[in-house]
Amino acid sequence: MFLFFQQWRAECLKLLARKRTYLGFGAFLALEAAVLALVHIKGATHFKTLITRQGQVFDEYYSAPTLALILFMASVFLLGGIYMTLVSGDIVAKENEDGHMRMLLARPISRFRLLLVKYLTCVAYTVLLVQFIAWSAFLMGLAVTGWGGGFFAFVPELGIAAFYDWQTGMGKYIAASVSLSLSMITVTSIGFMLSCMPIKPAAATIGALSYMLIDFILRNMGFMEDYKHLLFTHHMQAAGRVLAEEPAWPVIIRSFAVLGAMNLTFFLIGFGIFDSRDLKS
Amino acid sequence: MALLEIQHLTKQWKAGKLALDDVGFSVQAGEIVGLLGHNGAGKSTVMGIMLGMVHPDKGQVNIGGYSVQTQRAAALRQIGAIYEAAAFYDYLTGWQNLKALCSLSGYWDEAEARRIVKLVQLHDRIDAKTGTYSHGMRQRLALAQALLPQPKCLLLDEPTDGLDPEGITEFREFILRLRDEFGMTILLNSHLLGEVEQMCDRCVILREGKKVFEGIVPGRGENKVRFQLTSPDVQEGRVVCARLELKMDREGIVELPPPMEGHTVLRALVEGNVRVESWQPHKQSLEELYLGLRRR
Repeated sequence: MFLFFQQWRAECLKLLARKRTYLGFGAFLALEAAVLALVHIKGATHFKTLITRQGQVFDEYYSAPTLALILFMASVFLLGGIYMTLVSGDIVAKENEDGHMRMLLARPISRFRLLLVKYLTCVAYTVLLVQFIAWSAFLMGLAVTGWGGGFFAFVPELGIAAFYDWQTGMGKYIAASVSLSLSMITVTSIGFMLSCMPIKPAAATIGALSYMLIDFILRNMGFMEDYKHLLFTHHMQAAGRVLAEEPAWPVIIRSFAVLGAMNLTFFLIGFGIFDSRDLKS
Repeated sequence: MALLEIQHLTKQWKAGKLALDDVGFSVQAGEIVGLLGHNGAGKSTVMGIMLGMVHPDKGQVNIGGYSVQTQRAAALRQIGAIYEAAAFYDYLTGWQNLKALCSLSGYWDEAEARRIVKLVQLHDRIDAKTGTYSHGMRQRLALAQALLPQPKCLLLDEPTDGLDPEGITEFREFILRLRDEFGMTILLNSHLLGEVEQMCDRCVILREGKKVFEGIVPGRGENKVRFQLTSPDVQEGRVVCARLELKMDREGIVELPPPMEGHTVLRALVEGNVRVESWQPHKQSLEELYLGLRRR
């Protein structure tokens, strides 16, 4: 177990030593700063309408977690998905293309173990990136609105518009950020599976993004209503459901179980393909 | 027992080309064996199978008694390898690269790593990013990673490719030192005849996926005595030799079985009215052997 941890640590250090790993972090900081600047310059009239329409006091709920949630939920899936598929699409395909895989596999390590180490590194990156986005957005929100106030949890696609005090709101915000981190692992898993195939890293990234967007587009089409349980983006909505006043835990648990099973399936398909490959230039 | 046993390897690529056709040989502990062949002969495929990176259609490789195909980790613990071009993470230092690679073997001894780095003369640049390394330095780093953690055997796949003449000489001396001082067993894959001739005790020659020769590198500790006849009557000389149950080739070279001596054959040639211009001991080079096999 200690050896596995050492190998995973070495893989994480390798990932963190690459400049392109930080592209996602930089892009989100820029996006968050731009959106907050716009909110600040143009005024928060949209928020004001939304909050006052619910019969609540605007100044109370125009707070750091309210601002952060809107930034966070709107951007993680699409923009975050790009960076997650970029990293996971590279992790095997790029190493193979560059010849690193041959150096690694000349060592006494099984392909399964090597891939597991790499997959868990992608998972760690996904969680780290989503948490970074959640808390950088929160800090930027703090800079605009200051500490304290309530939390207005607004997820229109799930019909959630709930008001919480600061303490309960922070709990909900943390739960949402953790749930979103976990659900985004499926995007990473798709990128990883494609990366194990004998294709270029860019093809793996584009393939994973295409899968994600096709799934997302289908989810938003009315005639897929009866089949939405087959779409992973439908199950990813479980992350937003935790923000409801009374979360539908059976639905949330079922969705996370489906996402977990999909992750395992994507990993095993990726491993099966990679294990059958001859690694020779 | 042989340290490396390659048994009946057969591999066909998808395109239908038979890359290896029942190739087998063995390497004893302490030997340096050269794996020779033209480009595309199947040398790297053999190496790939030995490292478990290429799946053979038939046959298997045993390293130190462990099968690469069924006990890969145990088998690969016995060896260090440079397989194809050495590819390092250019954004990491040499030291970080070594550490990352050694973590996969489950072994890291800093003092040992420092010793190996010094041995390959990379201690001055080990903390620089490998992106700044010359080709020679990358090869030295590749050798350092192959030597960690203390393998019994080294598999080197065209290790001097792209090195300048000084680099090749240094590399050769270092490999010989590894065998002489540390008793290392080495399998060297190369298409450079001179390299194999100068470094190896034995060689295996592949041609279009088939083994066409396995034996001592010509001129290394073999007992065979060869003489070369220069004469306008080579055809008559061939007849005389045939009477002595000897075979003379197109260049007038005759291989004498022990204990037959050169003067015995010379006397027979003179008595057979062959006009002998010269009759001299002939030392066969690896190049002659290789080209001879090609003509067959």
